[in-house]
Amino acid sequence: MTVPALEADALGKRFGRRAWALRDCSFRLPAGRVCAVVGPNGAGKSTLLALAAGLLAPTEGTVRVLGARPAAARPRVGYVDQDKPLYQQLTVAETLRMGADLNPGRWDADTARRVVAGGDLDPDRRIRVLSGGQRTRVALALALGKRPELLLLDEPMADLDPLARHELMGLLMGEAAAHGTTVVMSSHVVAELEDSCDHLLLVGGGQVRLSGEIDDLLAAHTRVTAPATADLSPHQVVESRTTGRQLGAVIRPSGPLPADWRTGTPTLEDLVLSYLRNPAAPALPPAPETLEAAV
Amino acid sequence: MTTALATPAAPARATGVPRQWRWLARLHRPALICGGALALLTAAALLWLGGPLTDASAAAWKAYNACAWDEVCRYDQDAIILYKEVYTWTTAAVLAVPFLVAAWAGGALVGRETESGTARLAWTQGVSPTRWLASRLTLPALLVVVGSGLPAALHRWAWTAADGRVDTAKSWHSSATFLAGGTVPVGLALAGLAAGALAGLLLSRAMAALATAAVAVGVLWAGAHAALPYLWPSVTRVSGLRDGPLGSGMHVGEGVLTADGGRAAAPCFTSRLPDCREELADLGATAFYRDFHPASHYWPLQLVTTGILLAVAGLLTYAAFQVLRRTTGTARG
Repeated sequence: MTVPALEADALGKRFGRRAWALRDCSFRLPAGRVCAVVGPNGAGKSTLLALAAGLLAPTEGTVRVLGARPAAARPRVGYVDQDKPLYQQLTVAETLRMGADLNPGRWDADTARRVVAGGDLDPDRRIRVLSGGQRTRVALALALGKRPELLLLDEPMADLDPLARHELMGLLMGEAAAHGTTVVMSSHVVAELEDSCDHLLLVGGGQVRLSGEIDDLLAAHTRVTAPATADLSPHQVVESRTTGRQLGAVIRPSGPLPADWRTGTPTLEDLVLSYLRNPAAPALPPAPETLEAAV
Repeated sequence: MTTALATPAAPARATGVPRQWRWLARLHRPALICGGALALLTAAALLWLGGPLTDASAAAWKAYNACAWDEVCRYDQDAIILYKEVYTWTTAAVLAVPFLVAAWAGGALVGRETESGTARLAWTQGVSPTRWLASRLTLPALLVVVGSGLPAALHRWAWTAADGRVDTAKSWHSSATFLAGGTVPVGLALAGLAAGALAGLLLSRAMAALATAAVAVGVLWAGAHAALPYLWPSVTRVSGLRDGPLGSGMHVGEGVLTADGGRAAAPCFTSRLPDCREELADLGATAFYRDFHPASHYWPLQLVTTGILLAVAGLLTYAAFQVLRRTTGTARG
């Protein structure tokens, strides 16, 4: 069995004496996946990524990154913060030169240059005058130039227009595929991740609600339309709504469904929304077979 | 500049600190230039003060003191005033250095990076948090030692040049003069640097860290000022009841000695006045005493004060590393 890219066990983080930002968070992400970390704002996505990047220490539990402590794995991990912090006073060229200097032995100048070159960026421009999209590009160039084995991206596309988003996502996926990089990327927009990601980590209220291969997760759930009198109880119900004489639900079937129910596979967005709308819905434990299958 | 984009994949050559210093110097170029200019200007002003200005002022005082009362006295009053002004301003400049260092360290060196997130960028760009902080403390510390030590040494030199020649020169133990000369400014500036770093890490707000660090230096300054007389054993001079307490230097305490060997507060200061003589007799006073530091205690007091400030700087630095380790979960190195 290969070493998972990311593995959390009862991970929790509390800031000061305030409420827990993340609690009792357990999951396992196999290497080589492109994983979407989805959840509403304030769900704990950023905290999870910062814990994985070794920028925060957990309050309880553990997180292992590429088989090591986050602090030890830092040289092999790329991270792009939500705000894309960069040194405002440096030029684009200087920023990349700094990346080369700070990552001796690892820096891939070609990759970094390619990422920046795609954006029609003048290397002599200062960071402070760049647009949001251009800054994201430079931040990605720094992260990718490091040639990380695991790339952690916190809302990477949040402030981009659809065109730039599409272009950068393509670039990112291309680089990740070329080097076999594991990518973990958070977003509160499910649609932008659906095409590129093969793994899902749904975070809500500081907890992991769903975790696994997207295909497996979708296959494990069924969207049903049944008479309002239907008994859903043998199955695990994520969400159910009664409209008139009809009942619509997203369930995890625990056996064959009656023939008079209309069934279908939910979309990823349906699934995510049904879990987020129903905090009481049981979290899906990572099924062992999907993990094994994933390895 | 475009050549940077063609930087070949860096081979694993000698890495670490020197490279980080290069970027540190690049990022803080304006501060480096301004700080260097301030230090050099102050040093130049002090050289001017200790050389030509002191000579001119001393000559003016000599002429003044040679004046007989009945003739028109001719002396160079402007030289005396200029000396005094330049002395005041250069002293203020030297005293300001630790505050400026603390404000810069809290605001720009660490606070701005923790606020904007560039610290996190560095920590995920191959520089571990502890190495990041180490590089941000060592090079500035070296520059601070030079940038505060040179003016402070020149201040002491300029003061020494005027001692006994310029009648209005400040005494060695006047607060501003004592704290601006010798080694104390270096200790204070290093403590300011460490305070700024710690404030920046704890507060993650540039302006708040700037203010906190400057206030911390103010507290240390006031503390040093208040504790100073007690940092080295003082000497005691006993003098007759007619003379009052004697002994010039930094006063620690004074009063009367009583017949039973005890000490008491002095109700008045000479037995030449009849009332005072009676009061002293009522107390059973046998002599006046004064605890004070003579001028020869200058260096012991300087070095002990500096030592304490360096210990404070060390503690603050240790605390900063601990804070960083705890927040980022970096165990060692």
